[in-house]
Amino acid sequence: MMESLAVSLVNAVPALSGVPLWTMTLLVMVVVAAVVLTFALLYAGLATYVERKVAGDIQARIGPNRVGPLGLLQFLADGIKLLLKEDIIPAKADRFLFALAPYLVFIGSFAAFVVVPFGVGLIASDLNIGVYYVMAISSLVVVGVMLAGWSSNNKWALLGGMRAAAQIVSYEVPVGMALLPAVLIAGSLSLQDIVRSQGGLLGIFGWNLFHNPFTFVSFFLYYTAALAETNRTPFDIPEAESELVSGYHVEYSGIRFAFFFLAEYGDMFVVSALATACFLGGWHVPFLDAEALPVAWGNLFSLGVFLAKALGLVLLMMWIRWTLPRLRVDQLMRMSWKYLVPITFFNLLGVSLWLLVFHGKGIPRMIASLFG
Amino acid sequence: MGLKGYLHDIWEAVATTAKGMRITARYGVDPRETITLQYPEERWEPSERFRGFLHNDIKRCTSCTMCVKVCPVDCISLESVRGADKKLVLASYDINIGRCMYCGLCVEVCPPKSLTHTSGYEKATVTRGELILHFVPEDAEEIKARVAKQVAEAAAKAEAEKSAKAEAPPMGWPAPVFAAGNPGAGADAEKKPAREQKGEPANREEPPKEGGERTE
Repeated sequence: MMESLAVSLVNAVPALSGVPLWTMTLLVMVVVAAVVLTFALLYAGLATYVERKVAGDIQARIGPNRVGPLGLLQFLADGIKLLLKEDIIPAKADRFLFALAPYLVFIGSFAAFVVVPFGVGLIASDLNIGVYYVMAISSLVVVGVMLAGWSSNNKWALLGGMRAAAQIVSYEVPVGMALLPAVLIAGSLSLQDIVRSQGGLLGIFGWNLFHNPFTFVSFFLYYTAALAETNRTPFDIPEAESELVSGYHVEYSGIRFAFFFLAEYGDMFVVSALATACFLGGWHVPFLDAEALPVAWGNLFSLGVFLAKALGLVLLMMWIRWTLPRLRVDQLMRMSWKYLVPITFFNLLGVSLWLLVFHGKGIPRMIASLFG
Repeated sequence: MGLKGYLHDIWEAVATTAKGMRITARYGVDPRETITLQYPEERWEPSERFRGFLHNDIKRCTSCTMCVKVCPVDCISLESVRGADKKLVLASYDINIGRCMYCGLCVEVCPPKSLTHTSGYEKATVTRGELILHFVPEDAEEIKARVAKQVAEAAAKAEAEKSAKAEAPPMGWPAPVFAAGNPGAGADAEKKPAREQKGEPANREEPPKEGGERTE
């Protein structure tokens, strides 16, 4: 992907023909990484603003409205405040691990952006193990959270870290199992392939969501389990501000805290993007074949549609956060092991049988074939 | 728990979540529900009996020190001196509003009703010292010196009149001065104030002084 981009760039601009290919490839990689990271940071900043606005609306308040027009620059003010704050490391903390933990969490969350299929050709790297890559790299978050809890030398932080580890490890299982139906239908782990498998001129009925009843349930199972994996509110027992103060990042301040904060919002987007790619048709524009359009227009349309879907799901997460109260630890574990895990296994079996019996056809396609 | 209970639990979870989210959505989209008061621009009208910052009308204050004595957190300090006309002159009246707990006892107890609660509640300062409200604009030492001087003058005048009455005084006779702060003269004057008209020696320390020592 990167190499082909570099080759086409060298072909397009004659002045670059003397530059060795690996240099160009590296350059392209750095630029793409910078663009994706900039998008991620900008998104995270604006998401905090939207989150506060949504919270305000739901709680009959107004939310930020002082900094800039409609308070839109609030996230910049917050960012500057966090940058200027004193960086405190507790005296009894394990300094090395304490400094390392936020970066691990941040990397675990933002490395997943690599395989997010933003558009027809807009993907940093179309790995052939995309889904596994996301699940594997986002597990790095657990390590960071555990380290943060341990190295802070604080009982609340340690409890929060332990809870987070237990929760994320538990919910990895239903998350993976709920994603597998999409993988089965596409026959590939590459996210671009999964998105392509949901195309066709059926519009939204090409989506995996409407493929069959099992995939429909699967989407909601995935979304619920993924919500727990991001430690968002109905499942935010690792943070649990009313009992653990704020869990594993109690002792963090300034820019180190900002890394945890950004990682949470990055996680929200990755989870929503994965749900979009696997169940909601990814970048497919309804009633329009984005791949057949000219490259620029196709990419623009598909990017817009993908972002609209993914950010819509992020908004849904915020809505859920400000609606539901926190679960207890035992309720959380029961929900994962006694409800989500068995049902996702049942779903996986159902989808497999469906694909076997109906030769991979979904309900909308069967109805369409009835009418010729 | 059989299968029926299991499915019922799932249904319960889905239905209650949907119900809750419907409620929050209704609040979320209805702008009329907003109850926020945009503080610096708009604010609640404080109630009539709102206990805001204290204010002392020093023209009416009699320096009786009732407020100093009743204050549970000792935030009021008061200094006064006995003036030439035997009335107490307020030298300083400070309220540490940062320490005040707005119980209102001082206002209730004030005999001339000079101490009142205002409706003010906005005060932010850089240092704690700025939270001490000063109600006497002049410097306490200046007032004390002035009053002492007045008292001394009055005493000298009274003495001069007295000696003139007693034995037509020769010119240039130095008037005997009751030295300022002479404790014997002060105690004496207090015992028989009726006889010694305007003969009060200056600077008699009043009990209110104890309040004055608590200034931070």
